[in-house]
Amino acid sequence: MPDTVTLKIKRQDSETSDSYWETFTIPYIPRSNVISCLMDIQANPVNAKGEEVTPVVWESNCLEEVCGACTMVINGKVHQSCSALVDQLEKPISLEPMSKFPVVRDLAVDRARMFGALKKVQAWVTADGYHDLGPGERESTSHQEVAYKLSECMTCGCCVEACPQYSLSNNFLGAAAISQSRLFNMHPTAKNIADERLDTLMQKGGIADCGNAQNCVEACPKSIPLTESIAEMGRQVSGKFWRNIFQA
Amino acid sequence: MFFAEWCFMDSHFLTRRIHSLTGVVPVGLFLVYHLYLQLYLHSGAETYNNSVNSFYDSPLAIWALVIVVYIPLFFHAFLGIHLIFETTVQPSYTYFSHLLYWLQRISGIGVLLFIIAHVWNAQLGPWMAGTWGTHFEHLSSGFSNPESGMITKTVYLFGVLGAVFHFANGLNTFCMTWGIALTPKSQIRIRIFSILLFLILSASSLYALAAIW
Repeated sequence: MPDTVTLKIKRQDSETSDSYWETFTIPYIPRSNVISCLMDIQANPVNAKGEEVTPVVWESNCLEEVCGACTMVINGKVHQSCSALVDQLEKPISLEPMSKFPVVRDLAVDRARMFGALKKVQAWVTADGYHDLGPGERESTSHQEVAYKLSECMTCGCCVEACPQYSLSNNFLGAAAISQSRLFNMHPTAKNIADERLDTLMQKGGIADCGNAQNCVEACPKSIPLTESIAEMGRQVSGKFWRNIFQA
Repeated sequence: MFFAEWCFMDSHFLTRRIHSLTGVVPVGLFLVYHLYLQLYLHSGAETYNNSVNSFYDSPLAIWALVIVVYIPLFFHAFLGIHLIFETTVQPSYTYFSHLLYWLQRISGIGVLLFIIAHVWNAQLGPWMAGTWGTHFEHLSSGFSNPESGMITKTVYLFGVLGAVFHFANGLNTFCMTWGIALTPKSQIRIRIFSILLFLILSASSLYALAAIW
């Protein structure tokens, strides 16, 4: 095995400044991941030319692929850097911030739009007041199996990063939010406002902006059946489409 | 948009759903009917001309054509062009569905150009020249023209195959958009069906073209 690993990192000093590429060469450690490489650079921020530079900024939390904070574009494809293993990556490793979100600095991006989309589709269980509402409805095992998979979404942004319909300039909700609206539309209590979620999905930036490229389902690190979710919500809005014309 | 409010819907959503619907009904169905008619090319000039002219015998033929084909077709085409400008190019995601996504858009542009050329060549041109009615002779002379015949043949070949692809793949995404095919398994079934449809319609149109090649 080689003694060193080379990383090409797309850097950006501030939200508004231009980006530039910088190369770092660090000692090779067996079974390391991209985060540990970034930690090495942080400990010794010297680029391949031998110049001392500012340490590369990135975000991370859980280090076990459940929080989504360390998502970045690794060798051209979006993934969590904690579960991107150096041994499995082509060298030199290129790291870029996600292109569908405003860059805060270097590899750290602002995913506020993802969370804004969850607010728009009201991805929560609606319960009014603090009084005892009694036990909730029982969920069948088959229902749980579908819901559990959908609930694994960590709003990391992989689906929208890979999506050709999602861009910095439009307001598409993206696959994650559409899938979450499916999860809460099937929840026994949260489905009370199912129609409100469908109304949101039927606005500009809603489900009609999906172009069926199906990159989302391929890019999803949690293997959530996103295209199934989009088709299911497509079915629900189709129902509302006809209801609006013939019953509203 | 007044019509959208009247339907209690956001116009953005409504126009996209109409875009999806018009691609299949009526434009897609017209394509199948149109390709079926072309099989008469094998029955000789008289039968072919009669089968085409019998449609135009109806006093409502032009109206039917405009309302059922041209208006939905150009609505579909113009919104389709608009949709292409909303996409981002992401070549590093080399998935089959992503390839189909781009082929759908590229074939859409190609087919629109072909339809404009085709309508000019087979409908408006003969009308204005006063040679309307002898469709078989017009087509076969265009194909066998020593100067432009090869170009005409190539344009028809790619145009027809492009249209068939756009329809078959469009039917596949139509089933996702409207939530007809839900699960990954059913989406594979629909994909197999659309591939078969592509092969059958391609074979049929190639066979039809062979009559005047």
